Amino acid sequence: MNAFSLAIKNLIRKPGRTAALTLLTAFLALSVFGGSLVVSSLQRGLHSLESRLGADIIVLPASAQSKVSFEKLLLQGTTGAFYMDASALDAVREVEGVEIAAPQTFLASLKADCCAVKVQVIGMDQETDFVVQPWIAQSYSRSLGDMDVAVGCKVEADVGETLRIYDENCHVVARLAPTGTGLDTAVYCNMDTMNHLLAAAEQKGVSHKITSDSEETISAVYVKVKDGYDIDQVNSKLNGHVRKATAVRTRSMLTQVSDSLAGVSRTVSLLIAAVWVLALIILLIAFAMMAAERRREFAVLRLVGTSRRGLCRLVLTESALCSLAGGLIGIGAAAAVVFPFTTLIETQLGLPYLTPDARTMLLLGALALGVTVLVGALASAWAALRLSRTDPGATLREGA
Amino acid sequence: MILRAENISKRYFRRTGQANYFEAVKPLSLALEPGSLTLLMGRSGGGKTTLLHMLSGLLTPTEGKVWLGDTDLYALPDAQLSRLRGEQIGVVPQGRSAVDTLTVLENVLLPGQLCGRPAKQETALYWLEALEIGNLADARPAALSGGELRRMAIARVLTQDPQVILADEPTGDLDDASTRLVLSILQKAAHEQGKTVFVVTHENDAREYADRVYRMDGGSLS
Amino acid sequence: MMKKAIFPILILILSLVIALGSQTFLSPCVHEDGSFGSCHWAGRAMLGVGILLAALALLSWARKDAYLAVMPAALLGCFIPGTLISLCKMSAMRCRSVMQPAMILLCAVIAMLALIGYAVNRKSNK
Repeated sequence: MNAFSLAIKNLIRKPGRTAALTLLTAFLALSVFGGSLVVSSLQRGLHSLESRLGADIIVLPASAQSKVSFEKLLLQGTTGAFYMDASALDAVREVEGVEIAAPQTFLASLKADCCAVKVQVIGMDQETDFVVQPWIAQSYSRSLGDMDVAVGCKVEADVGETLRIYDENCHVVARLAPTGTGLDTAVYCNMDTMNHLLAAAEQKGVSHKITSDSEETISAVYVKVKDGYDIDQVNSKLNGHVRKATAVRTRSMLTQVSDSLAGVSRTVSLLIAAVWVLALIILLIAFAMMAAERRREFAVLRLVGTSRRGLCRLVLTESALCSLAGGLIGIGAAAAVVFPFTTLIETQLGLPYLTPDARTMLLLGALALGVTVLVGALASAWAALRLSRTDPGATLREGA
Repeated sequence: MILRAENISKRYFRRTGQANYFEAVKPLSLALEPGSLTLLMGRSGGGKTTLLHMLSGLLTPTEGKVWLGDTDLYALPDAQLSRLRGEQIGVVPQGRSAVDTLTVLENVLLPGQLCGRPAKQETALYWLEALEIGNLADARPAALSGGELRRMAIARVLTQDPQVILADEPTGDLDDASTRLVLSILQKAAHEQGKTVFVVTHENDAREYADRVYRMDGGSLS
Repeated sequence: MMKKAIFPILILILSLVIALGSQTFLSPCVHEDGSFGSCHWAGRAMLGVGILLAALALLSWARKDAYLAVMPAALLGCFIPGTLISLCKMSAMRCRSVMQPAMILLCAVIAMLALIGYAVNRKSNK
C-alpha cells in the first residue's frame, strides 16, 4: 500500500468526511464554472451582435419610441413595428459619404397560428442588403424567393414547414445560425414577400401606413459609410438631411450593451470571488479540524516509517482527490443547469447571450477544475505542513 | 544490531522553581545488545517514555547521540530516518496506535507496505493468531478493546520484523495470561531471532523474562 | 435503513416537484387570451407522469424491483414535452425555456437516482 491507495482507503472508509469536502468543492466548482460560462456567453453574444450589426449607421423613424423599440427588438426579441415613408431611403442615398443604404421593413405578426407571442417579420431588400444576407448565406446558398422565409434559430420551425402569417403561407427554406440576440426570434423575407404580407395585414385591419397616399413604407435603413468619410459627420448630415428620421450610430448602441454587460460581468465576478474566498476559509477550517482529529493517526503513520514528506503527500493526495471529484461534480451540475436553461437566462438578462464553442467550454471547465483543486490544495497544504511539523513522540504520549 | 545511546538527555522548557526548563531525561548512556531483552522499570513521569522515543528515532535528544549499529540516527535526514524506522525499528507506543480507516490486518501490514518491503499476509495472520486476535483480522480498530489494540500493535511490530523492538507498556491493558503470552513472545524474539528488545513496564512479574533490568527515576538510570 | 429510504424519498420529492411544478412555477405558456396551446396539454401529461413517479417511488421503498419501473417512466417524462407532445414554436416561450428543460432535467435525475438506488440495494441485499 503506497500513499495513494492509503489515501483512497481513508476517503472511502470515512464517507461522511469525504462527502462534506467533496460537496464543498463541488459548490465552488459550480459557481466558478457556471459564472464564467455566463460571462463568456455574454461576451460572445456581444461579439455576435457586433457582427450582425454590420452597418455603421441605422436610420430609424424620428419618433422616440422607434429607437427604444428597435433596441428591444435587437436585444430581447420583442416585436416592433414603426414606419417611415420609403422616400426616406432616397434621401439617405443623397447624402455624401453613404456607400450603401439598405432598407428593412418590420411587421409584427398577429398571433401566428402556433403560439401566443407575435413573431417579428423582417423584410429586406435583396439588391442592397449587406446585413442579413451574409448571415442567411451561412445556411442557405440561394436567395429567398417569393413567400420564402428564413427563420431565426429560436423559431421552432423546420425547413420545409409552412408558417402562416396573416393567413398567408410562408415556406421555411432555412434556419439561421444562432446569434444570441433578439434577431434569433425573427423571420426574414424579401421585400416582395413583405409587401404581400403588409397587404394581407391591411386586410385584417392592421394598418401600417403613415399616410394614406404613401406607396411603400420602410422601417429602417442600414447605412455603410464610404471609406475615408467620418462616420460621425455622415451621421449628423443624415440627421439634417433626412426628414422625420433619426440616424443612430450602431457604435453607440453597442456601447450601451457592452456597458450593461460589464455590469453583469462585474456582479458575477464578485460573486465568484466571494464564493472562492468563502470556500477557501471553510476548507481551511475543515482541514484544520481534520488535522486535529487525525493527529494520532498521523503520528502512528510517522511511527511506522512515513516521512514528513510522505505525510504531506498523503494529506495533499486526499484533498486533491476530494476536490477533483468535487470539481467534476460541480462542473457537471453547472452544465446541467446552465445549458438547458440557456434561453431562460438569456430572456432574464435581456442581453445578447451566445453559448461559447466546445473548445472555449473545455477551457472554462479546465479552468474551473484547476481553481477548485488549487483551493483544495492551498487549504490542505497548511494543515499538512503543520501536521508534519508535529512531533509524533509528543502526540503518542497524549492519552489514548 | 546494537542500539547505543551516548550521553543523551532531553530538556523541555517549563517554569519549575529556579530553572526555566525541566530535565525529563538527564544525560545517560545505554547500550542494548542484540539477542537480549532489556527491561526498564520505574515510576510514572520518570522519563521512561521520553527515553524510549529518543531511542526509536521519534524524538530528537537535546544533547547526545543515538547509534543503531554505526548509523547516527539523528544525523540522518527525515526521509532516511523514517525509512530506517519503518524497516529496522519497531515501536509499540502507549495508548491507541491504529489507523482507523484500515482493518486490523491492514494495520499490521502497513509498515512493510509503506517502506516498500511488504510482509506476507500469512506472517501477519500468524502473529495475530499467536496473540489470540486472529479472529479480528478483518475488523476495524474502532471495534477493538484496549487490550486487543495493544496486541494488534505488537503483532504489527512482529510482522514488520525489525532488528530492534521498543515496547512502551506492551502489557498495560492486558490480563495476566495475555501479559505472560506477550512477554514470552518478546523474549523469544530476542533469544531465538537475535533481536534487540527493550521493554518499558512497571509490571514486576516481567523481571523473570528479562536479561537486564534498569530502573529509571527522576530522569536518571540506575 | 438509511440506504433503503434515501433514494425513494429523493425520487418522491422530485416527482412531486414535477407534478406540482408542471401546474405552477414550471407551468407551460399562459396565453394572453386564455386559450390553450398543445404545450398546456404537455404540462397536464407531466402532472400525470409526476404522480405515477411518486407512486412508483413509494412502491420502490417496499420493493426494490419497482426501481426498474421508475426508469422507463422517467424516460417517458423526458420525451413528453417537445417530442411526444409539441410545444410552442418559439424557444423563448415559457414552455420551451422553462418547462421543457426543467422536466427533462428532473426526469433524468430521477432515472439516475433509480439506477443508483437499484444497484445499491441489490448489492446490500446480497
